[in-house]
Amino acid sequence: MSTDTNLAPAMPSGEQARIPLSQRLSGLGGNARQYGIFAALIVIILLFQGLTDGRLLKPDNVVSLFQQNAYVMVLAIGMVMVIVAGHIDLSVGSVVALVGGIVALSITDWGLPWWVAVLLGVAIGAVVGAWQGFWIAYVGIPAFIVTLAGMLIFRGLALVVVSQTIRVNDDNFNSIVSGSLPNFLGFSGDMDVVTLVIGALTIAAFAIAQFRARMQLRKHDLHVEALGLFIAKLVGVAVAVGFLSVLLSLSAGGMPIILVIVGVLIVAYTFLMGRTVFGRHIYAVGGNRPAASLSGVRTKRVDFMIFVNIGALAGVAAIITTARGGAAVAAAGQNFELDAIAACFIGGAAVTGGIGRISGAIVGALIMGVLNMGLSIMSVDPSWQQAIKGLVLLFAVAFDLINKRRAGTS
Amino acid sequence: MSAVDPAQVGDFTDQQHDDVEQVITMSTSPVPLLSMRGISKNFGAVEALAGVDLDVFAHEVVALVGDNGAGKSTLAKVIAGAHTPDSGLIEIAGEPTSIPTPSAARTLGVATVFQDLALCDNLDVTSNLFLGREVKRGGLRDDGYMEATARRVLQALNSRIPSVRTPLSTLSAGQRQAVAIARTLIGEPRIVVLDEPTAALSVGQTAEVLTHIERLRELGLAVILISHNMTDVRAVSDRIVVLRHGRNNGTFDAATTSHEAVLAAITGATVRSTPRLHALR
Ligand SMILES: Nc1ncnc2c1ncn2[C@@H]1O[C@H](COP(=O)(O)OP(=O)(O)OP(=O)(O)O)[C@@H](O)[C@H]1O
Ligand SMILES: [Mg+2]
Repeated sequence: MSTDTNLAPAMPSGEQARIPLSQRLSGLGGNARQYGIFAALIVIILLFQGLTDGRLLKPDNVVSLFQQNAYVMVLAIGMVMVIVAGHIDLSVGSVVALVGGIVALSITDWGLPWWVAVLLGVAIGAVVGAWQGFWIAYVGIPAFIVTLAGMLIFRGLALVVVSQTIRVNDDNFNSIVSGSLPNFLGFSGDMDVVTLVIGALTIAAFAIAQFRARMQLRKHDLHVEALGLFIAKLVGVAVAVGFLSVLLSLSAGGMPIILVIVGVLIVAYTFLMGRTVFGRHIYAVGGNRPAASLSGVRTKRVDFMIFVNIGALAGVAAIITTARGGAAVAAAGQNFELDAIAACFIGGAAVTGGIGRISGAIVGALIMGVLNMGLSIMSVDPSWQQAIKGLVLLFAVAFDLINKRRAGTS
Repeated sequence: MSAVDPAQVGDFTDQQHDDVEQVITMSTSPVPLLSMRGISKNFGAVEALAGVDLDVFAHEVVALVGDNGAGKSTLAKVIAGAHTPDSGLIEIAGEPTSIPTPSAARTLGVATVFQDLALCDNLDVTSNLFLGREVKRGGLRDDGYMEATARRVLQALNSRIPSVRTPLSTLSAGQRQAVAIARTLIGEPRIVVLDEPTAALSVGQTAEVLTHIERLRELGLAVILISHNMTDVRAVSDRIVVLRHGRNNGTFDAATTSHEAVLAAITGATVRSTPRLHALR
C-alpha cells in the first residue's frame, strides 16, 4: 500500500480551528445545564438559610446533612449510571434492607470483625446486582420488571433474615457514619486543622486536574474554554470547597468520615464516567444501543456491569444505613430507590437514557437533602415535606424540558 | 498540513501494521480479498439471502445493486459481523473465517457504513468516530489524540462539519453521513462496505464521497458500494453485482455493460427471471 497517498483535498489548514461564536455558545449549552443545577442548589441553600434564620448552615447541621444524605448520594451514583444506560433500578431499597440485615448478623451472631462485615456487605450487594444484571443483560428482560421483582424478592428475604431488630454494638462500625477524622493536627482558633488541610488539598487537586486537562487540549492544538470562564470555574469551586471546609472544621467533630467516603466515591466515579472507555460505552449504550453494538461495544457486558456496580453501591448504602441507625431492621431502605431516582432526574439525567452526570446526581441529592433539612428545622409537617419534594422534582424536570425546547435541541 | 496519511490515521497498534503488510501482498495475488459462497440468511419465514456468492478483489470497487428488500443490507451486515449467516462460507484473503461480531469484523479489517448509519446522537463527532475502538493511553481514553485525529480525518473528507465536539443530534443528515463515512478512515481497514453512503448528500458532497471511494481503491482496498443511484454506481465501480429476492441475478462489467441490461437484471426482466414468490413476504 502506498502510504504517501494524499488523502486530503486541499483545505486551508487551521480552517477547522476557527469555530464560529454560535458554535462555541452551543458547546457551552451542555455545561450551561450543569451550571444551572449548581446555581439552583446555591439558591435553595440561601433561601433556607434565610428562612431558618441562619440555622441551616450551622456547622453541626452541615455535618448531619451529609450523614443523613450519604446513602442517597451513594445510590444516586449507581442510579445515574443505570439511567444513562437507559435502564432503571427499583430494587435498591430492598437490597439495602437485605444486605444491612446480613451485615448486622455477621457482626453480632457470627462475630466477624467490622471491616470483614463491610467487605461482605459490598460483596453480597454485587452478587445481588449480578443476579439482576444476568436477567437484564443476557436474558433480555426489561430492567423495570427485573428490579420490580427484585424489590419484592429482596424485601421478602430481608424479612426472613431480620425477623426482629438486630442491634449492632460495634463502635468502629457505627462510627463509619457518626465518626470524624481524628483531630491530630490540633486546632487553629476553633477550626480543626485536619479538615482545613483536606479542603485545601481538594482545591489544589481540582485545580491541577483542570489545568492538566487544559494543557492536554492545548498540546493537541484543540479549542479550549475561554480563560475567563476557566478561572471563574476554578475560583467558584475554590470558594465553595473552602467555605464548606471552614464550616466543617467548626463542627463538634471536624471532618466527618462519611464525607470522606462519599467524596472518594464521587471522584472515582466521575473519573470512570468521564475519562474511561467503559464510561463512554455506558453513554453510547444509552444513546443508541443497536448502534453501539454495531460499533463493537459489548453492550450486554456494559448492562451487566452497571447492575453489578449499583448492587455493590447498594451494599455500601446498606452499611451506611445500618451504621447510622446502629441496628438493622427489615423495613430499612424503604423508598430509597425513589430518592435516588429523583436525585438523578433533578440532576439533569434524561428519562430516555444517554444523558446524565455523576455531579448532577450528587447535586440533585443535595437539593433534596437541603430541602429536607430546611423544612425540618422549620418544623414543617413531614407530609408536607413529601409533597414539596414531589413538586420540586416536577418543576426541576419541567424547567429543564422548557429550556431545551427553547434551545431547540429537543 | 491538512494532508492525511491514512497509515498515520490508524497508527495505533502493531497488529494493524501487520494488516498493512498483508494488504500489500494480497493486492498482487489473484485471490479475492473477500469471497463469499452460498450465503443464506432467514428472518423467520423471510428468506433475506438464499445462496448468495460474492467476490471482491483488492483494488476493486464492486457495486451491489437491487430492488428494495433484495437483501443488500443483510449481506452488508453479514460482512460486518452484525448478522451470522445460516449457511455459507466466508473467506478473507483466502482464509476461511467466520465473522461472529462487529469487533471480529474490525479485527479482520472490515469497515462498514450502515444504511441507518449506526451513530449515537448523544455523543459528539469524535466519540462516534472512535466508538468501540477508543484509543487509550495509560488505561485512560486519550481524548486529545482522538479529537486531533478526528479533525484530520474530517478535513480529509472535506466534510462540512463545524466542530468535532458537536453532538450528533445537532448535525444535518448529510453531515451525519459524512461522520459515518469518516469512521471507515480510522483503523486501517482492507475491506470497506458502504451501504447507501450518498443517500442524503448534496451533489458536491456526493462527488467528494465518490472521490474518496476511488482513493480507497487506489490504496488497494476492496470496496463494496451499495446504492440505488446508477449514476454513482457507474462512476466508480468496476463490477456490478445484482441481487434479486436474496439471490444473485447477474454480474456485470461496469465499463462495458449497458444501463438497460443492469436495470433489467434488477427488475427481473432478464437472467434468472423465474418468479420466486416465496421469497417475498
Ligand atoms: N432484522 C430483520 N428482521 C426481519 N426481517 C428482516 C431484517 N432485516 C431485513 N429483513 C428482511 O430481509 C429482506 C432484505 O432486507 P434488506 O434490508 O437486506 O434489503 P435491501 O436490499 O437493503 O433493501 P433497501 O434497498 O430497501 O435498503 C427484507 O424482506 C426485509 O424485510
Ligand atoms: Mg438496505
